[in-house]
This record gives sequence, C-alpha cells and structure tokens, in this order.
Amino acid sequence: MTARSLESGASARERAVTPSLWSRIWHNDVPGYLFLLPWLVGFLGLTIGPMVTSLYLSFTDFDLLTAPDWVGADNYIRMFTNDPKFWASMRVTMFFVVFSVPLKLAFALAVAMLLNRGIKGLPMYRALFYLPSLLGASVAIAILWRQIFAGDGLVNKLLLVFGIEGPSWISNPKTSLWTLIILSIWQFGSPMIIFLAGLRQIPSDMYEAASLDGASKWRQFVKITLPLLTPVVFFNAIIQTIEAFKSFTPAFIISGGTGNPINSTLFYTLYLYQEAFGFFRMGYASALAWVLLALVGIFTAFSFLTSKYWVHYDE
Amino acid sequence: MTIRIDRRKFLMGSSALVAAGAAGVMPSWAQASSLRLTFWGGQARADRTYGVTDLYTKAKGTAVEGEFLAWNDYWPKLATQTAGGNAPDVIQMDYRYIVEYAKRNAIAPLDEFVGGALKLDGFDADQLEGGKVDGKLYGISLGANSVATLVNVAAFEEAGVEVPTNAWTYDDLMAIGEAFKAANIRGGMKAFMDGSYSEPMLDNWLRQRGKALYTADGKLGFEEADAVEWYQLWAKLREAGVCVSAEDQALDTGPLETTMVVLGKAAMMPSNSNQLVAFQAIVQDKLGMVGYPRIAPGVGGGHYRKPSMFFSVGGSSANKEAAADFLNFFISDPEAAKILGVERGIPCIEATRAVVAPTLDEQSQIALNFVSNLGDLLGPLPPPPPAAAGEVDSSLIRTLGQEVGFGAKTPEQAGAELVTGANDILSRA
Repeated sequence: MTARSLESGASARERAVTPSLWSRIWHNDVPGYLFLLPWLVGFLGLTIGPMVTSLYLSFTDFDLLTAPDWVGADNYIRMFTNDPKFWASMRVTMFFVVFSVPLKLAFALAVAMLLNRGIKGLPMYRALFYLPSLLGASVAIAILWRQIFAGDGLVNKLLLVFGIEGPSWISNPKTSLWTLIILSIWQFGSPMIIFLAGLRQIPSDMYEAASLDGASKWRQFVKITLPLLTPVVFFNAIIQTIEAFKSFTPAFIISGGTGNPINSTLFYTLYLYQEAFGFFRMGYASALAWVLLALVGIFTAFSFLTSKYWVHYDE
Repeated sequence: MTIRIDRRKFLMGSSALVAAGAAGVMPSWAQASSLRLTFWGGQARADRTYGVTDLYTKAKGTAVEGEFLAWNDYWPKLATQTAGGNAPDVIQMDYRYIVEYAKRNAIAPLDEFVGGALKLDGFDADQLEGGKVDGKLYGISLGANSVATLVNVAAFEEAGVEVPTNAWTYDDLMAIGEAFKAANIRGGMKAFMDGSYSEPMLDNWLRQRGKALYTADGKLGFEEADAVEWYQLWAKLREAGVCVSAEDQALDTGPLETTMVVLGKAAMMPSNSNQLVAFQAIVQDKLGMVGYPRIAPGVGGGHYRKPSMFFSVGGSSANKEAAADFLNFFISDPEAAKILGVERGIPCIEATRAVVAPTLDEQSQIALNFVSNLGDLLGPLPPPPPAAAGEVDSSLIRTLGQEVGFGAKTPEQAGAELVTGANDILSRA
C-alpha cells in the first residue's frame, strides 16, 4: 500500500512532495522491523548471543565459578588426540545415526504406502500413527521404555509366552543402544506424513500404464514410486539425520544420565552434557558443541552435493 | 462512568509507583523479609525441612523460600546459579564440594557470626572441624553419619540366614551368599549388590589396608596392585553368585528407586546410616543396618563419622546475618529438632540429641545406635576429596566395575586402568 502511494506521489504531483529518504524508511521499513522485533530480540539475545559466547568459551577453560581462562585451541587438540571418551561417544552416535535413520525412513514409507491405499477412516489412522512422534521425546515415554525393556518388562513377558528367556535389554551393553534405535523408529510419524503427501503427488495414470504393460507391483515401486519420491526421501533423510545427531533425552533418561552400561548409550550430546554440567568444563563442552555443529554441517553439505546423482526433480 | 487516563496522569501515576517502590520495597529487601534455601534430597527430607522453615517464619517473621532437587540435578543448578550471581542465601553443601566452593568465595566464612547469631556451644568438635576450610568455618554440619550396609532383614528371615553383626568379614559375605543361593528365595535373590562399583566401599576397603582413595594433597592413595585385588575380589563374588549379575546391576542408575535392595535383587548393599529412613519409606520389608564387611576378623578403621551434609551461606548473599540466624534455629531449636529427627544424620549438639532421642521411630533409632556404636570400625576423618573425585567415581569406578562384570575387561586390566585413568583426571583438573 505504501509503495503504491509513493508511486502516485512521484508521478502525479510535483517533485516537492516526493518523500525524503528518512520518511521512506519510517513508513516502509520501520513497521516491518517493528513487527519482526519480538522474534529479532529472541534471535539475537537467545540464539546468536549464546552461540557467539559459546564460540569464545570453546577456546577457554571455564568452570562456571571462576572467570574463563584463554587456552587457545587446547580443547580441540585434546579432543582429537587425547580423549578416548570423545571417540567412544562419536562411535555410539554414528552407530545410532547409521541404523536409526534408514530404518525409520523405511518404516515410515511402508506405513505411508499402506495408508495410501485409500482405507476408510484415514484421518484417524494418520493421527494415531503420528501420536508417537508427539510423545517420543518426552520424559514419560523414556521411562515407559525402561519398563518395557527391563529384565522383567513387557518384552520379556511376551517372549516368555514363546518359551524364550530374554536378557535385560536396557542394561545389557549389547542390546541397550538397540532399544534406543527402536524408540527412534517408533517415532516415525512426521516422515510418514510427509511421505504420504509425496505419494499423493504421484499421478495414478503412471501406475495404470505400467500395469497395462505388465509391470509387477515391485517393479512399479522401484521404477515409479521411488524415483518420483526421491525429493521427499532426500528432505526426510536430512531432517532425520540432524535429529538423530541431536538426540539426547531418551539416552539421558534411560541411562540416568550415565550413558551406561559401559558407555554403550553415551551419545555425543550426553557426553557433552556430562562435561558441561557433571564435571563443570564449560569450555571443553562448548568446543564439543562446535565440533558437533561442524559435523552436522558436513553431513548436510555432503548430502546436498550427492543429491544431484540420485534425486529426481520433476522438470 | 468511564475513567480516562491521559498521558500526563499516566506518567504521574507511574512515577509515583516507582517512588513508592523505592521508598517502601527496597529497604524491606535489605532487612531480609525472605531467605532463599536450596537442598538436595527426596520428598521425605523436603517435608521435614519445610516443617522447620514454617516454624521459623512463625517465630521470626522471616519467610524462607525453599527448593529441592535430586543429587544429580542439584549441582549443575547450583553451579549455574552461582555463575550467574544468583545463588540462594542458604545452600546445602557436601563434604565433596565444600573446598571448591569455599576457595572460590562461592560460600561465605561464618566465623564472624559465631557467638552472635550462630551459637555453637556444645557442638561436636570433629563435626565442626569438618566444616572448616583453611581454618575458617564455611559449613555447619547438619548431622553425623557413616557408611553402612543396608540389610533387608525380612529377606534374611525368609532365607533362614542370620543377619551379620559389625564383626562380619568378606569371607562371611561369601558364606552368606552361598546360604542365599541355597535358600533360593524370591526368584533367586542374591546376598549383595555388585560392590565393585561403589566408591565408598572401595574407600573403606583401602582404609582397612592402611591406604586411602585420596591423600591429603589430592593424589591417588593406592597402587595398581590394590585395585587389581579389588576387582579380583568382586570377580570371585560375582562368579560364586554372591552378588548380583552385571546385567541386573546396570539397572541401578543412581536414584534410590533403582538400587538393588529396592528392586529386590539383593538382600544387602552399601549405603549411608542416615539413608535408612529414606529407604524404609520406599521398601515394604523391614530394613536394618550393619557396618561394611571387614577384610579380616578384627581389622577396623575403615569407617569414619562424616558430616553427612552442611548448610553454608551463599558468598554473594545480601542477608548473611539473617541466614546465620536461620542456621542457628535449624540446628538448635528443640521443636525444629523434633521435626528433623536424624534424617540428615545424627544432630551435632548434645542438647539437640537429647531432645531428639526419645521421639525417634524404630528405623531412626537403629541409625542413631549404629553411628554411636561403631567402636573399633571407626577411623580418622579423611581429608576432603579433590575436586575431580566426582569424575573419577562416575567415569572410572562405575564404568570399570561394569566392564569387568560384563567380561569386557579382566580385573588386571581394570586395576591398571583405574590407576592411570584416575591419575590422568586428577592431573587435568
């Protein structure tokens, strides 16, 4: 609206009425920034500010009680050369990312395809299947998971019906991380919804033509569904990978913040938390946080670079 | 009728409000109309503590705003508040952290209030000493306690095994474990938790051998050979089925609710004398306590009377004198003492003990008797542990115990790693 009045002022009237630079800023830009202000204050004060501070702290030795002490790159050097726990936590997180993300996406796609067959009461099923995603990161679910996978928990009681005596899943270092992966897969709701929307976009005449040519269901899936769905797969993969790297709450609750048994659930974020709030090494923890950021950045950049070889955009 | 406030009236009104605030509210802050108090513990401790703060408010007119957290959450929050210059006035402090906080002026020396707001006549000398750092008083002990073995007495009766006395040894533990195995009660309840994880138990075992976990100058007080023998001892007990399996033990993530006695996996486990009250509140079976096992008959000196916890005053508190007055009330008022009982340990003032003793329930009586009758189990109070002791405990002692338990490391490897790892952590901090 202001743009239009400005235009008419310049064309129809004499030059003296042309708004000065200041009044243009006042009328055009200031209201915009005013509307933006609440978010901007939060962004600068609560996101950028702490981030810059943490970047500074990552080059210091800071124990919260005394002033930070500049140590240069020592924190980063120690991390890569002299910290077995750093590598242990990296291994756990990598294992988690590598297994939980593809399995979760596959499961989400499978459910989405089931729901895409046009069953009755779809909105209800959609909501029902989405529910775990809403609950998944909560403390209550993590505690529930502890109960389900404990030695005398639900899973083992079910197995006992078939005469199998299961281990205590959460407290055995061989299986504990898998319980967390299963928890992550169970929260397949949001990628599933996105897959469902993607499947709806695929024109049904393609399938009709394919079945007229005698292509099997599997061939249709491989030759039509998957290629046309790759942009959605790509999007989901990136989002879920970042989520998996950042995963913290379930491991924290299930292992009581310890990352045990034998550090088998010591996620990178959990190690970072221990260093920061368990042992009060805020400087080192800040350095760990920046390495995680770099790692996630590299992964995402790598995905984008390779995407042109396997993601098909409809052009 | 409508009321319209124009801009001038609004300005006048608001500046009047500010003036009123400056005149009225500010000075009353300076007089400490309220104190902030923070402590770790469970609901049972909170109920008792708030009982006393209510009493104090009634008596002195000063409101006390309390907040409590579980041990693991307490320290991050306190450190964050301290860093932000926002620490509470009264802070529950532990022997493990008092030196660190005192050296950084995060808690205030209380000597200037002694004799004034803080009357410490008849206060146990060893407990007073425990709250001193570099000769200055930084913490008032809220009670004495000692490590102790928590015993599920009902399970012992069910298994037909006699409850051990303070004379018992690790060999007796083996025998009791065999008896429990033979009795096979409650789906194979074991005699003991896996004690190789337990820092206090390792400390106690080392002290009986004339060594210590840490020396006075914050170095490691034992050698690799000791550590190897420790892990071998527990490997033997584990193989014999005397203590719980590694898989069961790993269910214990810290809170009282996940410990082996509460889960019903073991009949005994290492604990603290004051915690009998808290454990009895969540276990149906009748509980009791004895000392930790001796390494050989007649060997003592492993135990000590430790200040179970302190109250300290925040270094940045504007109400130090009022806080000292509250501390004085907390440790010496007879009515307060009756509410607190021995939940934080045995009161340190003779007169307070005399008030408390007749009011105690059975469990509290057991705890009181246990600490009063340690006899030859008692040794000297060790120096406060170094700042990194917490990290040695959580990232080495617990993890290595698990690794041996699950067979990922031999006792020899774990012993060597404990010593090198601990030295590394201690030199880094």
